[in-house]
Amino acid sequence: MIKTQVVVIGSGPGGYTAAFRAADLGKEVVLIERYENLGGVCLNVGCIPSKALLHTAEVINEAAEAPHLGVSFGEAKIDIDGVRANKENIVSKLTGGIKALAKARNVQVVTGYGKFISANQIAIDDSDEVIEFEQCIIAAGSRVTKIPAFPFDDPRVMDSTDALELSDVPKRLLIVGGGIIGLEMATVYNALGSEITVVELSDQLIASADKDVVTPLARRIKKQYKDIYLDTKVAKMEATDKGIKVDFEGKKAPESDTFDKVLVSIGRSPNGQLIDADKAGVEVNEWGFIPVDKQMRTNINHIFAIGDIVGQPMLAHKAVHEAKVAAEVICGHKSGFDALTIPSVAYTDPEVAWTGKTEKELKTEGVAYEKGVFPWAASGRSLSIGRNEGMSKALFEAKTGRILGMGICGTNAGELIAEATLAIEMGCDMSDIALTIHAHPTLSETTAFATEMAEGTITDLLPPKKK
Amino acid sequence: MSSLKNIELPDIGDFDEVEVIEILVSVGDTIEADDSIITLESDKASMEIPCPSAGTVSQINVNIGDKIKQGDSIISLESTQESEESVTKEEEPGETKEETTTKIVPVIVPDIGDFDEVEVIEILVNVGDELNEEDSIITLESDKASMEIPTPTAGTVSSINVSLGDKISLGDLILEMQSSGNTETKTVVEQAPSAPVATKPAPVAAPAPSTNESVSNVPAGDSHASPSIRKLARELGVDLSKVTGTGQKGRVLDTDLKGYVKQIITSGGTGSAIPKVPVIDFSKFGETELQPLSRINKLSGKHLSACWLNIPHVTQFDEVNIDQMEAFRQEQKAKGVKLTPLVFIMKATIQALKQHPRFNSALDESGENLIIKKYFNLGIAMDTPNGLVVPVIRDVDQKTLSDLATELAETSAKARDGKLKPGDMQGAGFTISSLGGIGGTQFTPIVNAPEVAILGVSRSQTKPIWDGKNFVPTLMLPLALSYDHRVIDGAQGGRFMADLNSILQDIREILL
Repeated sequence: MIKTQVVVIGSGPGGYTAAFRAADLGKEVVLIERYENLGGVCLNVGCIPSKALLHTAEVINEAAEAPHLGVSFGEAKIDIDGVRANKENIVSKLTGGIKALAKARNVQVVTGYGKFISANQIAIDDSDEVIEFEQCIIAAGSRVTKIPAFPFDDPRVMDSTDALELSDVPKRLLIVGGGIIGLEMATVYNALGSEITVVELSDQLIASADKDVVTPLARRIKKQYKDIYLDTKVAKMEATDKGIKVDFEGKKAPESDTFDKVLVSIGRSPNGQLIDADKAGVEVNEWGFIPVDKQMRTNINHIFAIGDIVGQPMLAHKAVHEAKVAAEVICGHKSGFDALTIPSVAYTDPEVAWTGKTEKELKTEGVAYEKGVFPWAASGRSLSIGRNEGMSKALFEAKTGRILGMGICGTNAGELIAEATLAIEMGCDMSDIALTIHAHPTLSETTAFATEMAEGTITDLLPPKKK
Repeated sequence: MSSLKNIELPDIGDFDEVEVIEILVSVGDTIEADDSIITLESDKASMEIPCPSAGTVSQINVNIGDKIKQGDSIISLESTQESEESVTKEEEPGETKEETTTKIVPVIVPDIGDFDEVEVIEILVNVGDELNEEDSIITLESDKASMEIPTPTAGTVSSINVSLGDKISLGDLILEMQSSGNTETKTVVEQAPSAPVATKPAPVAAPAPSTNESVSNVPAGDSHASPSIRKLARELGVDLSKVTGTGQKGRVLDTDLKGYVKQIITSGGTGSAIPKVPVIDFSKFGETELQPLSRINKLSGKHLSACWLNIPHVTQFDEVNIDQMEAFRQEQKAKGVKLTPLVFIMKATIQALKQHPRFNSALDESGENLIIKKYFNLGIAMDTPNGLVVPVIRDVDQKTLSDLATELAETSAKARDGKLKPGDMQGAGFTISSLGGIGGTQFTPIVNAPEVAILGVSRSQTKPIWDGKNFVPTLMLPLALSYDHRVIDGAQGGRFMADLNSILQDIREILL
């Protein structure tokens, strides 16, 4: 029996942050992780390995386009084992770092699957270990959503974890689900040489972003990939000797086609129902989320929950912020989650990023807004890196000019979105951004240009209206 | 541009040849007036010598160990202020971080209740006007009422951003003011560290019990505040929507938040000491309706609480035989001159004030001196549809009864229409609150601080008064005099009342 003040279930970005913060604030902390490596999905089979592979893809793509610049590297020779090794090296560096940080903070790591047995006890599966705690932070995350009818037992049907394993490069790859994860993996496998087909149920890729923000990406990959089927449902999936036979239901899709491999990336489901939360009296809703208040507290006063398991968006940076709130509240601080926005990024090529409200949300909510759209074709910096398809869109409250949201598609959009996110938190007006001097020539200028388009003060283009 | 100034050792008392033990500035330092520049040590004490003016140290003329006396040069200071013109600009490219320039503060339409698109019917200020906090700046008129909007801060109007007839709503810019940032920020800076709110909650080392306390519900999207300010507000338990932001575009700054908390702490002074009235859910007992207080209600409520809590009140009652006054009044009425009893009371009060100057005074800030007013302005409490207002009738001593009657009629019309300007309600030395037209036998008025006394008038009544032989029907006017017992003794109060009584009884005395 281990007795501790605080126990954290799950060592993803949320879990380890919560554990470390609580330890730094003077608590005795136990961190439970089912896997050998700390870091959860993000570090092991999510954000980090995918970004390592995306970098590989970027290098391949850039080299392929180099002849335009007057330089040729010849045809790329891809050593798939080397690509995998690079990825694994990065992952192990980071997970090892987390382990070292845990040790330095005297956070006790318990390896095993933790489940509640009472409101103050967690038992570790397959061992006699019981952890008794005063307070708990549930950071047990989410898992890939699987459709039972699909033949997942066939290795040719992959989820994102399998796809990141990079066991081979299939000739024909179908990606089911045109969201962030599906399109990032499409980017990787496309660069490695697969012929990509994407099928998406809704009428838009990356459905939560504004359509016009996704359009530059959609246009580009439409040329690169074999097919993108929108408004299309996968009716059936069957493992055959020739490959995975998939039946489609949609206007433009064929009735059926066979692929060497299929990646199913249709979303993630929270793990709320997998930790026997009921034995602690913690409420879990029908989808598996655990409802919490602004201080990340569940219905049980001394049990908190953070990250994917408490709701959308399932993003590491949201979990980290919530983790600090929960740890601080446990330590008696008057902390609370009051961030105005959580930015989202698709690390595709070009990248898509958005923060604050999307235009469609503003329309639904009936908010009077103004927008400024800047096409990157007018950005010298974008053209000089050989790209012209990007766009930036800034959204403002009509009455006050206060920034409400921003959407960017283009190289480094994921980095550029930080400015708009800060602007939202600081309550900036369009003129605050327009009047901030942005270095020239940079991609960051495009954010200022978008606000100038709204203001009518732009000079690099014709302003839509003069003010 | 800049002038060189020699800073000499001032008169430091009965000392000669005192040793310099410490030099607190270096060449190039930018210092403020009253910053210490050196430390001297005599055989009796050590003392820091402050610099009489601000500037940049260009030369140090003493060394440690020097013995100096009054008039010796300590340092040479490059004054950053131009000598002749009064220039507020200071753009020394150094590292001066203090705000010495004035800052522009936007004044926006505050929450005025359930109104949107309200018309500006009057602009009460001009560019260049110097305003005090809470001075009215514009009058708005909705279909329901007209209301005056006060400025939340003091300063000089630098631009007016609305015109007559404009329809404006919550958050719209009314005008911009130059607040004299220098003094303001300075005091804030000085006081901030001592404010109890500035202390961070100590990290909890011991096993803290789970805090049940919920965070305050910060309507984050609505108030213009950065994440760090929202965090501070959460820690202090402040509802940000209640804090007026003075930053650009109404942004709530750190100083606003601390100022708000400080104000709560000091405005009570008492705040923490006065036990709170219990909060009760009245709807449990029957139907209720929530009716917001008018602006005037809120303002006067705050002021009256301050008066009530700060002044030790005594109220003295009396009745005056006003048969003679009434006879004269009726006589005039027959001639077509309408005079209300109030104008006689006003005149009589002035007479009494002349005899008892203490009643026309105020305590100074220290509470150790009386400021006696040599003018005779009377505040007249008036009932209006929006609540109690107290316009001021100036120089009552120099006006005739009929002048006063006319002026009172005009003023009360303005008051009813909500058209009184801030200036119309300033400068009184003594206040009269008359409920004579309404009824009642007596009431205890609250002194309108910083005035020290107030006269309450109730309805006159014919009473049987014993004249030694018979009961004679006599018209009696009930008076109540409340006064600040710190300034006025009971005997003085009694004498004032007796004199006022005799003047009113024989109105010829008004002529004296």
